[in-house]
Amino acid sequence: MRSSAYTLAAGYIGLAILALVLFAAPLWYAWQVTINDNRAEVLHQDSTRLTAVFERNGIAGLGNFIRERVGLQIPEERMLLVADAQLRPLAGNLPEWPANIPAASGTYTVRTLLQDKPVELVLVRKNLPGGYSLLVGRDVSRFQPLARRFWFGLAAAVAVLSLVGVFGAILIRRAILSRIQTIRQTALAIVQGDLSRRLPAQRGGDELDTLSGTINRMLEQIEQLFRGVRNVSDSIAHDLRTPLAELRSRLEELSLTRPGPERTFEEIDAAVADVDHVMRIFNALLRLAEMDTGLRRSGFVEIDVSNTLAEAVEFYVPAAELKDLQLLYREHGSLWIAGDPLLLAQAIGNLIDNALKYAGEQGTVMVESQRLADGSALLSVSDTGPGIPETEKAHAAERFYRGEASRGSPGVGLGLSLVQAVAKLHGGQLELLDNRPGLRAQMRIPALPAAIATPSLASEPPARVAAAAML
Amino acid sequence: MKLLLVEDNERVSQFVLKGLAEAGHTADHADNGRDGLFLAASEPYDVIVMDRMLPGGIDGLGIIAALRKAGKQTPILILSALTDVDERIRGLKSGGDDYLTKPFAFGELLARVDALTRRAQGSSGVTTLEVGDLRIDLLSRRATRAARTITLQPREFKLLEYLMRHADQVVTRTMLLENVWDYHFDPQTNVVDVHVSKLRQKIDTPSERPLLRTVRNAGYMLTAQE
Repeated sequence: MRSSAYTLAAGYIGLAILALVLFAAPLWYAWQVTINDNRAEVLHQDSTRLTAVFERNGIAGLGNFIRERVGLQIPEERMLLVADAQLRPLAGNLPEWPANIPAASGTYTVRTLLQDKPVELVLVRKNLPGGYSLLVGRDVSRFQPLARRFWFGLAAAVAVLSLVGVFGAILIRRAILSRIQTIRQTALAIVQGDLSRRLPAQRGGDELDTLSGTINRMLEQIEQLFRGVRNVSDSIAHDLRTPLAELRSRLEELSLTRPGPERTFEEIDAAVADVDHVMRIFNALLRLAEMDTGLRRSGFVEIDVSNTLAEAVEFYVPAAELKDLQLLYREHGSLWIAGDPLLLAQAIGNLIDNALKYAGEQGTVMVESQRLADGSALLSVSDTGPGIPETEKAHAAERFYRGEASRGSPGVGLGLSLVQAVAKLHGGQLELLDNRPGLRAQMRIPALPAAIATPSLASEPPARVAAAAML
Repeated sequence: MKLLLVEDNERVSQFVLKGLAEAGHTADHADNGRDGLFLAASEPYDVIVMDRMLPGGIDGLGIIAALRKAGKQTPILILSALTDVDERIRGLKSGGDDYLTKPFAFGELLARVDALTRRAQGSSGVTTLEVGDLRIDLLSRRATRAARTITLQPREFKLLEYLMRHADQVVTRTMLLENVWDYHFDPQTNVVDVHVSKLRQKIDTPSERPLLRTVRNAGYMLTAQE
């Protein structure tokens, strides 16, 4: 089975062997060169000295000299032999002239038999005047065991290394593979549709943990996008079908009954209004989906949100007066946050709109903005109406949820969901509280939403966030 | 008034062309980007109505950019199915003068086309506006009707100024929302109507001839005509 652990181990072993060879080769070379060259040099000098003895004292003198030398030295150190024209030994420590030696003077390495023993000799042959031949040499076969041990050691090292490599690979493979197996199983579960699964991420912080963390964040994002898309398609399927069915039956009835022009035009006007209603729901859904996916964050700039609130209040005051309600804005100084001014205005607008709808006879709607101790902004809209019963609060921000009290009033039931989406987009939350009496809806928005405060941006002033968002 | 419609959808084109003809305008039509650019560059038009997504190698924004680069200042109304605010900003940045999202009511399109021609005729440098005996001074921010001084809140003044700049034209609620309040979303209740009726109470007292009229299914019109 192919496995990255094995590939890794093989590569590692190969590399280690290469390193060993690279280490051994120069050593071997150095040994060969220094020892051999040195040996040849010594032999050469010896032969020159012996030749000088021969030239001074003749063959008899050389014979004596050699016999004297042989007597002094240890047997293996040097092979000395002087022979006559028929290569019969005259003096020296070799019993016979070795076979296989070329006739000319020179330095040779020969394998031969010496007293029926195979030997390797390095020797210098010198042909002296009068047919005599001088041989100075050395038996190098005694170094062979050393060389053998060298290569054997090297081979053993390679073998041990390979063994350790293979064993290590198995261990690594077992360790990594078991974790990859978990990742794979989780991924398979996700492929089969369970998007809520997450990879086990230990706090070890090694590469696999980091990878798991990154994949988990990716899954988070995918799940969020997926949820957004599914919400939209669910909503379209569920909530656009009804008005579209109504529209269809209206038109069908018109086509079947063919009433007079007056009725017909009335019905057509009503149909156009139906289409507008559908379009409104559709746009609201798209906007919600867009916010669910976090794409709208590109519109973030640095804004004084108390300004946005003041303008929204000013916009709704005439509508409040018309209903004999009091709409007030209590601000506590400027309130700078990074956000989308348009969406915030719409969110606050929706809250005010809701509050005006339910504030009750001669009620008061109070809009307030303040900075909390932790630096986050609190934007609230409170009314003096009946409020939302505790049992309905949890559902109030759900799409198309319309509470008991709202039956019969206009609206598509997306107002609070949009407010919640806007709050979430800004890293905050929509909270529905009891105003005793009435409802207090508040958005808590961090000064710099955690969601957009990526590490690289968090350390810089908010103005940079705005600049980055403009790109 | 002569217009150019660049739009590839046949039904939308027929709907718009028919409406423009009924409103007394002549209009040329191009159903792809290439022809649209050719016509827009070679003929003098008062207003161009430009779809964003077009066949023919060049899209609406591309045509607008090319025209503006060539020094053509014809007012352009962009039609688009892309409703996103970011897209709208992109459209206006590329050189468009107004942005209308599909689907739209024809009245809305006509009102915007009229507003664009008026803007092109140039009202810069004007410091007073008059409709009948209603008069506003843009510098001192004062409004008077005949001899009567009208006290207006800043936003009411802005609303009246916008209506007066588009006198004798239909102005839709969306146009008011966008231009007076800079809100590009649909506030669920019709707050704009409340603002307009408040303004109407101030400028049209019962004894005076009404100037600010409601146009059914479309919006409002400020006019001194009968």
